[in-house]
Amino acid sequence: RGAGAMWGALRGARRPPPPLCRGLAKPAGPQSVRQLREAEEAAPVFRYAGKAAKRKDRVFVWGFSYSGALGVPSFVKPDVGWKKPRRIQGTPYRLETEEKISSAACGYGFTLLSSNTTDITKVWGMGLNKDSQLGFQRSIRDRTKGYEYVLEPSPIPLPLEKPQQTRVLQVSCGRAHSLILTDSEGVFTMGNNSYGQCGRKVVEDETYSESHLIHQLKEFDSGVVQVVCGQDHSLFRTKKGAVYACGWGADGQTGLGHYNITSVPTKLRGDIAGVNIIQVSSYGDCCLAVSDEGDVFGWGNSEYLQLASVTETTQVNVPRHLPFKIGKIKEAACGGTGNIVLTEEGNVFVWGYGILGKGPNLTETAVPEMIPPSLFGWSDFNPDIRVAHVRCGLSQFAALTNRGELFVWGKNLRGCLGTGRMEDQYFPWRVTVPGEVVDVACGVDHMVSMVKSFT
Amino acid sequence: LNAAAGRAPRQHVRFLPGPAGDGGGATGLVAARVPVLAEHPLVRGPRFRRLKIGAGHRLDVKASGVFVLGIGHGNKLLTDLYNCHLTKVYTVGGLFGKATDDFSDTGKLVEKTTFDHITREKLERILAVIQGSNHKALLMYSNIDMKTQEAYELAVKGLIRPMGKSPPIITAIRCLQFALPEFQLEIHCLHETQQYLRKIVHEIGLELKSSAACTQVRRIRDGVFTLEDALLRTHWNLQSIQNAISDCQLKVKTELEKTLG
Repeated sequence: RGAGAMWGALRGARRPPPPLCRGLAKPAGPQSVRQLREAEEAAPVFRYAGKAAKRKDRVFVWGFSYSGALGVPSFVKPDVGWKKPRRIQGTPYRLETEEKISSAACGYGFTLLSSNTTDITKVWGMGLNKDSQLGFQRSIRDRTKGYEYVLEPSPIPLPLEKPQQTRVLQVSCGRAHSLILTDSEGVFTMGNNSYGQCGRKVVEDETYSESHLIHQLKEFDSGVVQVVCGQDHSLFRTKKGAVYACGWGADGQTGLGHYNITSVPTKLRGDIAGVNIIQVSSYGDCCLAVSDEGDVFGWGNSEYLQLASVTETTQVNVPRHLPFKIGKIKEAACGGTGNIVLTEEGNVFVWGYGILGKGPNLTETAVPEMIPPSLFGWSDFNPDIRVAHVRCGLSQFAALTNRGELFVWGKNLRGCLGTGRMEDQYFPWRVTVPGEVVDVACGVDHMVSMVKSFT
Repeated sequence: LNAAAGRAPRQHVRFLPGPAGDGGGATGLVAARVPVLAEHPLVRGPRFRRLKIGAGHRLDVKASGVFVLGIGHGNKLLTDLYNCHLTKVYTVGGLFGKATDDFSDTGKLVEKTTFDHITREKLERILAVIQGSNHKALLMYSNIDMKTQEAYELAVKGLIRPMGKSPPIITAIRCLQFALPEFQLEIHCLHETQQYLRKIVHEIGLELKSSAACTQVRRIRDGVFTLEDALLRTHWNLQSIQNAISDCQLKVKTELEKTLG
C-alpha cells in the first residue's frame, strides 16, 4: 500500500514514457516459393577456381624416416613439443618443394630430387651422406665439417660450366653413390668410389665422407640419355643405343666379360652389340635392357633364377638375350631378387624369387608369369585400364596405371609400401594418394612419388 | 483376391427331413449332400483379411526406382537376399553450382559457385579415384586374410565382397551424361542409403572446387531385380503381380543357391 501510494505520487509527477510502437516480434514464417527463388537468385556466386586453373605438381614420400631420406626433419627431430618422432611414415605424406620436381631417385637410405629448371639450384638431396653421395653439405655449426645425415631437401652444388643454361634430365642413386645426368655437360657422379662406380680411378684409402669431389663423365659415343645405378655399379645408356658400365663386377653386373672392377665406363658387347637399346634397369646386382624391337637382355647376378631361362650359372658377365614369348616388351625393371616387365599390350610379367605378386604360393619362377589385369582395376566396367609403367625397389614392385593409380606389392620393409599396414603384400594393392601419380621411385625402405593434383 | 472364386465349400451328408421314398405325406429322413454351413462365405467372411508384406532395401521419399517386396512366405527369401549382399545400381543426377544443406536441390541454399572450369575429363578423374579408394575399402571390409592364396584367387576373379556389416561401399561409378551444369552418374553400391549418394554428389562438387546438389536418385537394379521386372503404377493388380512373382522365382532361386550355397 505504501509502495502503491509512492508510485501514484510518482506517476502524478512524471508519466512513464509511452511504449515504443513496434508491435510484438514474430518469428519468420515459411517463406513463399517466390521469396525463396528471389533469395536464391540474389545470393552471391563464389569462384574457387578459374577456367585456366592449372593442376599442381606435388611430391609424396613414405617409408622409413630416421635416415632423413623422407626429407621431413620433424619426423626425426620434432620442432614442437607435442610432436613425437615418427620412425615410419606408413601412408603418403606431402613434401613441400620449391620447384617442380621432374625426376627423383631413391638410394639405400637417401633420396635425390631434381628439377629441369635453368635456375642455379637444380638438385636437392636428403638422407644418409656418410659417403658424400649427396655432395658436400657444409655444416652450419662448424664450417669445416659436413653433415652426415641431411634431414631436409638441401641443394647440391654442381660444378657446371653454364649453370644458367644446363638442365638436369635425370638422377639415379645406388647403395652409396649417385649419378646426375645433364643435357649438355655429361654425367656427374658423387659418392663412394671403392669399386670405381663413380667412373674414376680407385684411390686407395680414400675417405669418402665430407668429400668435395664431384666427377664429370663426358667420353661416350653419343649423348647419354639414361643413367642407372645398381648396388655398386653404374650403367649409362647413350642416344645411339649403346650401354656403358663401370663399378663392381663380381657378379658380372658390369657385363664386360670379366668379374673385376671397372673404373672407366666401358661399352658392353655380347648379345646387345649393335642393338638399339631403349631402356636399361638395375637396382641390385642384376641388370635388364630392352631393345627397340621389344626384346629383353639380361646380365649380372642370377642366383635367384633371374636369368635361369638361358643359363644354369649363377653369374652372367656378358649380356644374354632372354627368349621370352610374351609379346613385345616396352619396359623392364630389376629388383634385388625379382624382375618385372611390361609388354606393349599392357600386361605385367614377373619372375625371380621373393614375393612376386601372385599370392603367397608363388615364391620363385624362372619363366615370366603374368599378373592378371583384374588386380589392377581392369573389369568389364573399366575395360581400358592399362598398366603404363613398372618400377622396382629392392624387394618391392610398383605399377602405375594409365588412370594415375599406383599399385604396390612385395616385402613391406619398414612401411615402404605405403599401404598403411606393416604386413607384406602378396598381390597388387592400391596406394591411396590424393592425386594422379605420374612417376614413382622405389628404394630399399622408402618411396617417393611425383603426383599431379586432380583439378 | 477376395473377389476371386474361392474353393468350393465342403460337402457333407446330412440326414434332412424330406418326403419319404414311398408316396404319401409321411416325413422321413433323406440323405442329402449339402454344403457345410460353416464354410458359407457370408458366415466365414472374406478369405483374405491381411497380407504379410515385407520390404526389401529401403528407398526414401525423394528417390524412385525398383523396390522389392515380399508377400507371405516370400519374406523368408527377403532375409536370404539381404544376406547375399548383392550390389544395387542407381542413376544419380546432379547439378553444379549450388550447395544445399541436405545435398538435394530442394534444400536450403548454402552457397552458389561457378562451374565453368569443370570438364568431363576432370570429373572422370575424380570418379576413378572414388572407385579406387572404395575398391580398397571393399577388400578391407571383406575380412579375408590378405596373406592367403585363396584371398589372391578371389581378388583375381573380383569376388571379394563384404559378407557382413560394412559402411557404404561403391563398387563402380561412371559418368553417363555430362552437360554443364547437369550431369548423370551410374553408381553400383553396397550397404548404402540414398542420402549417402546425395552426399557423394556434394563431395564430387567440392573436389572439383565448385559445388553440386543432387537432383535425382533412381534405383535401376536391386540384386537380381531390374527395371524390366518392376511393376508400374498402372500394373498394380493381382494378375500382373502373380506373373511377376512367377517370372522372378527362378532367378531368385539360382542367385541364392550360387551365393549362399
